[in-house]
Amino acid sequence: MEAILKRNRLGQWITELQERAEIYAPDFVEDTWEFAKVGRGATVELNHSNTVRPAKRFVFPQREVLYRFRIENSQSPKLTDTEPKVESTVVFGVRPCDGRAMVRNDRVFTCGFSDPYYQARHDNVVFVGLACNAPPSQNCFCVSVGGSPHSEDGLDVLMTELDGRYHVKALTDKGSDIVRSAGDLFQDVKAADMDDVGNAHAIALEYSQRSISSMEAVAAALRRNFDSPIWDKLARACIGCGACTYLCPSCHCFDINDEVTNKSPLTGARVRTWDNCQFPDFTMHSSGHNPREDTGARLRQRICHKLLYFVETHNMQQCTGCGRCITHCPVGIDIVKIANVMEEGVWQ
Amino acid sequence: MIPVEDIRARAKDLLQSGKVRAVLGYRRSTAGLLAEPAFMTTADETAALVLDPTCVGNLALYLVNEKKRMKHARQSDKRPLGIVAKGCDSRAITVLLQENHIRRDEVIVLGVSCETGGMIDTRKLNKALRGKGATSAHFEGEGGVRVSYVGGGTILPGKDVLADRCLECAKSYPLDADFFFGEKVDERPYGPRFAAVSAIAEKGSEERSAFWDAHFERCIRCYACRAVCPMCYCDECVVDSTNFIVGPTTSADEKADRVRWINRSATPSENAMYHMVRAMHLAGRCIDCGECERVCPVNIPLRLLNTMLEREALEMFQYTPGIDAEQPSLISSFRDGDPNDFVR
Repeated sequence: MEAILKRNRLGQWITELQERAEIYAPDFVEDTWEFAKVGRGATVELNHSNTVRPAKRFVFPQREVLYRFRIENSQSPKLTDTEPKVESTVVFGVRPCDGRAMVRNDRVFTCGFSDPYYQARHDNVVFVGLACNAPPSQNCFCVSVGGSPHSEDGLDVLMTELDGRYHVKALTDKGSDIVRSAGDLFQDVKAADMDDVGNAHAIALEYSQRSISSMEAVAAALRRNFDSPIWDKLARACIGCGACTYLCPSCHCFDINDEVTNKSPLTGARVRTWDNCQFPDFTMHSSGHNPREDTGARLRQRICHKLLYFVETHNMQQCTGCGRCITHCPVGIDIVKIANVMEEGVWQ
Repeated sequence: MIPVEDIRARAKDLLQSGKVRAVLGYRRSTAGLLAEPAFMTTADETAALVLDPTCVGNLALYLVNEKKRMKHARQSDKRPLGIVAKGCDSRAITVLLQENHIRRDEVIVLGVSCETGGMIDTRKLNKALRGKGATSAHFEGEGGVRVSYVGGGTILPGKDVLADRCLECAKSYPLDADFFFGEKVDERPYGPRFAAVSAIAEKGSEERSAFWDAHFERCIRCYACRAVCPMCYCDECVVDSTNFIVGPTTSADEKADRVRWINRSATPSENAMYHMVRAMHLAGRCIDCGECERVCPVNIPLRLLNTMLEREALEMFQYTPGIDAEQPSLISSFRDGDPNDFVR
């Protein structure tokens, strides 16, 4: 289902959707772009570069309460279900790299076994994507990992900005629903509109991005170099913070902890939080043994998970080329450079 | 302006003569405008060394990280590390010496003066260039920065693009260096010390509380601020969900009963607790390199917390950290004349 929305009607569409859903869109907060709740009557511009934090938190929040517990007088514990009751949510301005990351997150959380917390959120959120027409940011490399500035994967709607209007393409039932519900705001698509869409998409592809020449060769090189000393060299400057993975749209590792709120009777919650392979306690054994005991082994884990292990398991790179881990690394660690160094074997 | 060739030549000489096991400096980065840390172990590598207003990082961090690394290394090379250090970086080295964390003979300092310049704040630069991505930045005479971008270039006044800590810098050159590059400039054309923190400290407590609540709510606890800080060198940290005393002989009960002061959940109260604990542990130790604030992905103005305590240390105890390696550190010393009874 495709339609045309005049630019000055975007606000009206959002207002109509606010009758039945929470609306989120990128907002410029503290000099950074963040998905923020859109207030009644607020203006949404959709002129953002990518948000600092990805859209994954709408389906996989940093903290999820799995259940609450209460133990009284040595009786058996009483558990309370806390499966999330999620408000209908529509997220505008999702970039295609974050959309493609959602496909990867779905693989992890819904294939084989469906995670009820993830699924409940997923069922109630609509991702409205925005094709990247402007020149890419300096660390974008979506094309190298099989994506594109107008990829539809993982999105419910893809909007492409044209002169004074948007081409709006619904890609799922959820997407069709939010377009159809405000049907009178939209116009039919004419042949000239389709030409403009084609042009906008073609121009976007012509901008030069950072590139990795062959993902197959990179995967093979990573497989060959598991024990290579190059990892220590590449990670020499790594300070061991978690910015790269917490900002990644497809990183999904989590930790589970009990948070006790009262000692007698013992009450609290079992909580799932994001975990981070760059932290020293990640997968540390209870014996004290640490299978990834230095920054080299941890960097290897991150890169191999993105560009090798996920390919072996799911036949696609887990990385979608948003470039956040490069831009926000305090010391310039660069997955594109690492992939190319690996493939070319220049250190040998 | 310091000719970078001079520093390269010195670094090369140190490596060639075998006086150091490595030189820590800066080189261009593929990731963006800012220079990245370079660990040079051969004379050839020194050709890539750079020095300009993009060399923002505080390399003193790596003296701490290398010490941890060497503890586990199979072979230990006891030769010192060469390190390129700006005024603030060298104060960090001095604090590490004051706290006996490193020894003076473990390091050879290649001190560089920022003279009338300083280091770029990329957020300010992006604003000044209105989104045009800068490709290089160099000092240009009295307090100016020459910036190039794709399709052009311009000279910007330092006060518009330099980091706040550079605008407020009290000593823009190292006091303790084995080799010194540049001029010692004491008169700098910028604002007064503690300008940024004074602006917020004047506000009422409710307003300040709301200010910090809003910021801490956005914290994702990536710990970049902690990881980049040369003073955060503890083996065990109060925020970690496990700690490193866990070993093969630690019993299950001990593990289960370990105290978790701060939950892993990135909720506003836990985040506030984390930042307060960190700030308190830096009181009288922070030398204002501003790295915590620079590396924060969500732009929490962390430097304000630390400069507040730096101001307290100065006003209450006339103490400035990182000035003299022989001076006892603030929190490990007392004065006979202290007016408080509990000290005597």
